[in-house]
Amino acid sequence: MGIGTVASLLDQERREEGYLHLQPGRVTELLGLPGTGLTRLGLRLLATPSLTGPVVALDTRRWISPEAAWETGVIPENLIIVRCDQPQIWPKVTAALLEGVRALYAEVPVGAKEQDLRRLAALARARKVAVAMRPMGNGLPSGVAHLRLRALGVTWEGADQGHGQLRRRRLMLEASGKGAAGVTRRFEVEDEGSHVVRVVSHVVPGEARRAVG
Amino acid sequence: MWSLGRPDAPSDDPLLIVDDRVTGATKEVLAAGVALGMPRREAEALAPFATVLIRDQGEESRRFEPVVEAIEALIPRVEVVSPGLVFVPISGAVRFYGGEVVLAELVEKEMTRLVGQVRGGLALVGVADGPFAARWAAMTADAGRPNIVDDTIGFISRLDLAALRESLNADELIDTFRWLGVSTLGDLARLPREALATRFGNPGLLAHRLASGEDRLVDSREIPADLAVDASFEEPLESLDAVAFAARALAERLLKGLRASGMAPHRVSVLAEAAAGGPRERIWRSADPFTEKALSDRVWWQLRAWVESGGIPGGISRLRIAPADLSDEGRQLGLLQDETSRIEAERALARAQALLGPDGVLQGRAQGGRMPQERVAWSRWGEPPVDQERDPHAPWPGATPSPSPALVPSRLRSLEVEWDDGMPTRVRLATRWEPVLTWSGPWRLSGRWWTGESDADRYQLVTSVGAFLCVVTEGRAYLAGVYD
Repeated sequence: MGIGTVASLLDQERREEGYLHLQPGRVTELLGLPGTGLTRLGLRLLATPSLTGPVVALDTRRWISPEAAWETGVIPENLIIVRCDQPQIWPKVTAALLEGVRALYAEVPVGAKEQDLRRLAALARARKVAVAMRPMGNGLPSGVAHLRLRALGVTWEGADQGHGQLRRRRLMLEASGKGAAGVTRRFEVEDEGSHVVRVVSHVVPGEARRAVG
Repeated sequence: MWSLGRPDAPSDDPLLIVDDRVTGATKEVLAAGVALGMPRREAEALAPFATVLIRDQGEESRRFEPVVEAIEALIPRVEVVSPGLVFVPISGAVRFYGGEVVLAELVEKEMTRLVGQVRGGLALVGVADGPFAARWAAMTADAGRPNIVDDTIGFISRLDLAALRESLNADELIDTFRWLGVSTLGDLARLPREALATRFGNPGLLAHRLASGEDRLVDSREIPADLAVDASFEEPLESLDAVAFAARALAERLLKGLRASGMAPHRVSVLAEAAAGGPRERIWRSADPFTEKALSDRVWWQLRAWVESGGIPGGISRLRIAPADLSDEGRQLGLLQDETSRIEAERALARAQALLGPDGVLQGRAQGGRMPQERVAWSRWGEPPVDQERDPHAPWPGATPSPSPALVPSRLRSLEVEWDDGMPTRVRLATRWEPVLTWSGPWRLSGRWWTGESDADRYQLVTSVGAFLCVVTEGRAYLAGVYD
């Protein structure tokens, strides 16, 4: 492997690490089935903004645990959990939050209207709020998200037929949209339950899937 | 100190005046065990027969205004603390009138004259060194007889520890002092200050200073002229709504400017110019640095009092708020903290809370426990954090290890798991069965048998769609968390 190739790989990893940081005024969509690790990833995206002020996790299932967020580096005093399990007022609550907070992780309830989502994205742009949206149903309408991170699979290491314990998770992601310069890129995020994550470029989903367990 | 009546109150009924705490009560209500400062709900439970009236400080301020004006006519630079309480620096006036006794009697005479004119009207006058002692001198005075304290230290030392309650706003600290055998401020003053500071921090230090007769003096700073904020109105403000809006906006501007420099005002001067008359000025004082809300309220009360008493003929053409003194007690921000964003976020969260109710906006605090459900102490946002039930720094052997599940139901949910010779093989997720690819556990969780809790086993189950924390007790499996 030549020096040029190594430099190119490092550039890619830096770019993919950039996907794990929210940008002011941009919506990052976290798309995937429940259980694929996107809640923890979404909470982790709030870690950097929480250094400077309050951040909010909008919880439509009433199950989000702040303990997982604290482990990923979110400042405990700056994390507020807003629980909204009524889809009819979800757009109003989200809009109210976008008016004032700097960073928001929002679960999007099933059946959220396209028109509302577009308005909220426009509000986020106008107010320069960094937003991560996690649709509970289908994906966001096109043009709402600046960057889409789609979970392709998750694997766990550490547990072995009754022995050990869950230690390391590998989350396979696919980045697409304007935020990924229009190119679909796949990468893997390794997480050991702390605020440190490792990004691995050029992975093939099938390899990770075999490593389950 | 002037007692404020309620003209709208039924004359014979027992009364309870409240905001979130009791601020006033009639004798029958006090006899039922209600005390001033008691939480409203507790008081209502103790005196269900009382008519409850909500305190309106704006209205109280309006009715207190003639009293302030009467004192101001005798002594300049009156400082209003709250409706019903003023402090007046009297060193200059004592020389002018020929002594403290003469001056106090003059104020008392003027107050007695007002008692006949203004409803409410029980005036108590006290003279001592410093606002804390002067307030207690007035509190312990009799109506019609000013309490002039010659030996301020001796007077303070005889006061009960409860005298510190309002200044410290720390009931627990006062209870701790009592538990340590300290019952008067004199007892407290005799303790070594360093020991109090080490054990109780700033509140302990402040308590010792007050008990020693060293009132909370503001570290004076030079006040640059450009710190004052003002606004001129081409159309003079006559409606109370417009005045309220202007008051809030100016108060916010003033504090924003001061915070940027890490300064905080303890006294502010509010000046209003009338379109058809001269300027009016009043100083408001606070023991603690003014917050945005506290300052907005006071500016609004003052303007309302002036407008409703006809003291601003033609409306307000100019409004100015200036710090009358400054300290370094402005909140020290972290290197990366941004105060503006915090204020905006607080407004947004308050709006969300209005939509969802108080339980919709929450903050968590780490506490001890073995299960994820136990390890977070939830509080409503904007309210004081609840006490941690379990020490988060204790070892908690057998606690569920990190990484923690990101989704935790508030109580265990039933989960269908298939077992083969004690090993989990399949788990039912919604309508389909998912094979368990691997698992860890069981980890035994011993319950408190003496309270009827049974033992449980915990498992981490890994499937192709995610990992779950599962609890098995009395032969049934429950979902305790999702590693989402």
